Amino acid sequence: MIRQSWEKLRSRCERCARTTLILGTTLVALLFAGILMAAGAAGLAWTNTEKFCIGCHEMRDNVYAEFKGTIHDTNRSGVRAICSDCHVPREPGPMLMRKVQATFELYGHFVTGVINTKEKFEKHRYDMAKRVWTRMKETDSLECRNCHHASAMDPEKQSERAKNRHAKMKSEGLTCIDCHFGIAHKEPDGGPGPRELKIGKR
Amino acid sequence: MKFAAALVTSLLIVGSTGPAAAQGVDADAAQALAKKSGCLKCHSVSQKKDAPSYREIAAKYKGKADAEKALHKHLTTSPKVKVDGKEEEHDSLKTKNDADVMNVVRWILSR
Repeated sequence: MIRQSWEKLRSRCERCARTTLILGTTLVALLFAGILMAAGAAGLAWTNTEKFCIGCHEMRDNVYAEFKGTIHDTNRSGVRAICSDCHVPREPGPMLMRKVQATFELYGHFVTGVINTKEKFEKHRYDMAKRVWTRMKETDSLECRNCHHASAMDPEKQSERAKNRHAKMKSEGLTCIDCHFGIAHKEPDGGPGPRELKIGKR
Repeated sequence: MKFAAALVTSLLIVGSTGPAAAQGVDADAAQALAKKSGCLKCHSVSQKKDAPSYREIAAKYKGKADAEKALHKHLTTSPKVKVDGKEEEHDSLKTKNDADVMNVVRWILSR
């Protein structure tokens, strides 16, 4: 049927047939690319859900269990921050980079089982925390600033103590994670904290 | 003979559980109350923040007979403290239960 119509068109007007072929191929390619992009975006969005993050017991039984009941989980206004809000950048480029890095964690989950028991998790807790702190210091606590904007903070609505600490943040070039660590998860034992970590650029 | 063996075993068990367990410290409850009371905004267990870490505090009080009493007073009477050269009122623990306060005191001293 299609072949017959095509032959008919070709015999009538060669140029029309060629134009139709080019337009048709472009349309199919665009449609295919669109489907691929939509599927990719949906896939990425799925990996940012809480359900996905606690799909493995390493996260569910350790850091997620610690997160429950904290200010970012439950509070007076009901605004929550889930795993990806604090651990995945929102900008497309940095987000893709983070996702690529995270694929290496699958090796640890499926092949080596590096943190598959409570004891192993505790043994590696400091190293994992240090990695997160380092990244946040390098990005000036990017994920915190997705929701908390220093420029939008009204010192008059803060306690005297918070006002002093935030003034110090500005004068000493500190970043959110220098003080606000161990708020959603247990503080790891041993080793230098964020403020003591020496980070090259910021 | 049996009594001596039981005594040695008991002593070994007590000796191996460490100071925290020997004093019956509920670490999770202590940490939860400290968090609820806002202590961890300025203090950290072992890392640097604006106030000394609990490990530093434990070291300061180590070997002092009145350590528990002094820390209990510090955590319940809102004394004035100096942070970055400015005087501030130290918050008290958000509980009226003295056993919970003592649990936090012992938890800090066992860091």
